[in-house]
Amino acid sequence: MLFRSTVYALPRSLTLLLAVALPLSAWAAPADTKPMPLGMTVTTKSVKARHYFEQGLAKEWTLHIQECLENMRKAVVADPNFALAHVLLSTFSQDPIEQVSEMEKAVATKKYASREEQLIVEWFSNSSRGQWIPAIQAMNTALQQWPGHRELQWLAGLWLTGQQQWARAIPVYQRTLRLDPEFPDAWNNLAYCYARTRQFDKAFAAMKKYTELLPAEPNPQDSFAEISRMAGSFEEAVSHYRASLTLDPNFIESQLGIGDTYALMGDEPRARKEYAIAIGKTSKDDQARAVLWSIQAAATYVREGDFDGADAAFQTQAGQAHENGFGNLEAQAYRSMAMYQKDSKKAAEWLAKAEATLDEKHKVAKQFVDQERAVILRTRVYRALQDSDLAAAGAALEQLRQLADTTNDGNVAMNLHSAQGALLLVQGKIEEAIPLLEEDDRNPYAMKGLVTAYEKAGRNADAERTAQNLAGFNEPVMEQALVVPQFRKDRVAKKPDQQTTAIRGGRIL
Amino acid sequence: MTIGKHLRALLFLVLFSGVSSEAKQLAVIVDKANNVSSMTAVDLTKMFKFDSHKWPDGRNVVVVLYDPTSPEMQTAIQKLYHMQPEEFKALLAAHQSAVVIVHSEDELLKSVQSIPGAVGLVDVYSINSRVNVLKVDGKLPLEQGYFLKGN
Repeated sequence: MLFRSTVYALPRSLTLLLAVALPLSAWAAPADTKPMPLGMTVTTKSVKARHYFEQGLAKEWTLHIQECLENMRKAVVADPNFALAHVLLSTFSQDPIEQVSEMEKAVATKKYASREEQLIVEWFSNSSRGQWIPAIQAMNTALQQWPGHRELQWLAGLWLTGQQQWARAIPVYQRTLRLDPEFPDAWNNLAYCYARTRQFDKAFAAMKKYTELLPAEPNPQDSFAEISRMAGSFEEAVSHYRASLTLDPNFIESQLGIGDTYALMGDEPRARKEYAIAIGKTSKDDQARAVLWSIQAAATYVREGDFDGADAAFQTQAGQAHENGFGNLEAQAYRSMAMYQKDSKKAAEWLAKAEATLDEKHKVAKQFVDQERAVILRTRVYRALQDSDLAAAGAALEQLRQLADTTNDGNVAMNLHSAQGALLLVQGKIEEAIPLLEEDDRNPYAMKGLVTAYEKAGRNADAERTAQNLAGFNEPVMEQALVVPQFRKDRVAKKPDQQTTAIRGGRIL
Repeated sequence: MTIGKHLRALLFLVLFSGVSSEAKQLAVIVDKANNVSSMTAVDLTKMFKFDSHKWPDGRNVVVVLYDPTSPEMQTAIQKLYHMQPEEFKALLAAHQSAVVIVHSEDELLKSVQSIPGAVGLVDVYSINSRVNVLKVDGKLPLEQGYFLKGN
């Protein structure tokens, strides 16, 4: 699955064979770039850099992320002026410091790249700063100019997916697949888009195609597992995760997935055990994921109501994040602690600590600092409403509004709208609350508020649809832990005779 | 776990914070030669209702719209025109020389790009570099409080 930048119009199987068979020394060093029939242009004067880049991308497509990153890092070492490698390394990296430094290098070196690559750098660099209009303009200009470049289409699908524009990403992936019906990652991502829009039949059909294309790869099994989990089929999910690990015991995302699934099933000790295995397998230079997964593991204590255990675990992870300079993750750990505290004063203290952490000097992209600050302020609003303190809720909302005024970041705006909607709902301004809550459609707090708002507005069908979505919400995050299990219990208690929508273990029966 | 990983890479795991909402936001687009960069919602409404006919540089305003019956036009009708469909059709019929009706996004973008003085509305995720996007009441699409947002 290499870019056809050195081998023109050869069948892909032959391209792959050549790529594998030819030693690096046999490759002619291309001094320029040319658009290929199916691939975007790649500009580097280094044969080694090109090789690492192509290997890295091929690894990305099969979700061997660490190997992808290692290859991309080698590519930019081999050619420090390789703008496309810098921008993709920044995009795929999960280390906030590397994200920033590589994006800076991509911008600095784009002058050496082709027009297509320059547009990709403009697109992703603007996006990383929340400059959505020039980002979208660059993306669409590239797509219109090179409609036959499958990697470009794929990147656009990926970006739209990152913006949670699932429905918009679907036709983009379909175009990618028209260019290359055997592009596995496009099938994979298409399946997720269908699943996110709750079109599970289409999701499983796309996933089947993906699995058939890569029978020996772990990721299709891993993806099958995640979509099964989203559909509430936990046992099938664990079984697919195990199949993935059988194919590749080092595919640690599947190990994480097993932890997530047990957490959602309510077997928290088992979940922690599985998480620990996943965290233990992360590499030394992959501390961001280790911290992130440890925060996920800490949430298992919340799920079993052991708040002292949760406090200890989150504080440990905040310390780890601090040591590594991951200010946003440190703040996330403190903010998570505020979410389950019974004592509002304690919750306020943790939120203050989370905000203070963000104010410290660290090299996390402003985008991520803003986004975490927005979630902290949203949490302040929720906590204040829980205490019926409308003045405090209004004050936090005003801070959030001021933050939103300083950035184009849609994530920040969505948190503002969600918090606004929650306050309006409490104030009885139902019609105004509904469109705001509808925006935050993957946040169980907002979904729960929306169910209430719809009911009060007499929109019973909408209320029932949203209630079903919330009851079937199976993502291993704190908001799910704090809202969904209780919501399921309340729902069954309220409507014990409604077997068609009864929820058992998250599965819609 | 694929999409989850991509999302983490792209957003560094802001779990519930994405530019969510598939609610459509309409960008107000003009040709690149247009030196206007911002309008009030009031002035924009006047322009789309054919109450103002000229740009500050003296060029005639040409409004480029989707077929009024198309789903794409519903946000515009709701936010700008406040009219029933029949009234809206009658308004367009009365101003035929100042309006161009198109049937696809591609056609809309090309029309705005090529017709001097053209102004159109398009899904923000469809804009390209061949058109300029205007601020409305000081805000661009996807910014908090943007005017032309559908629910």
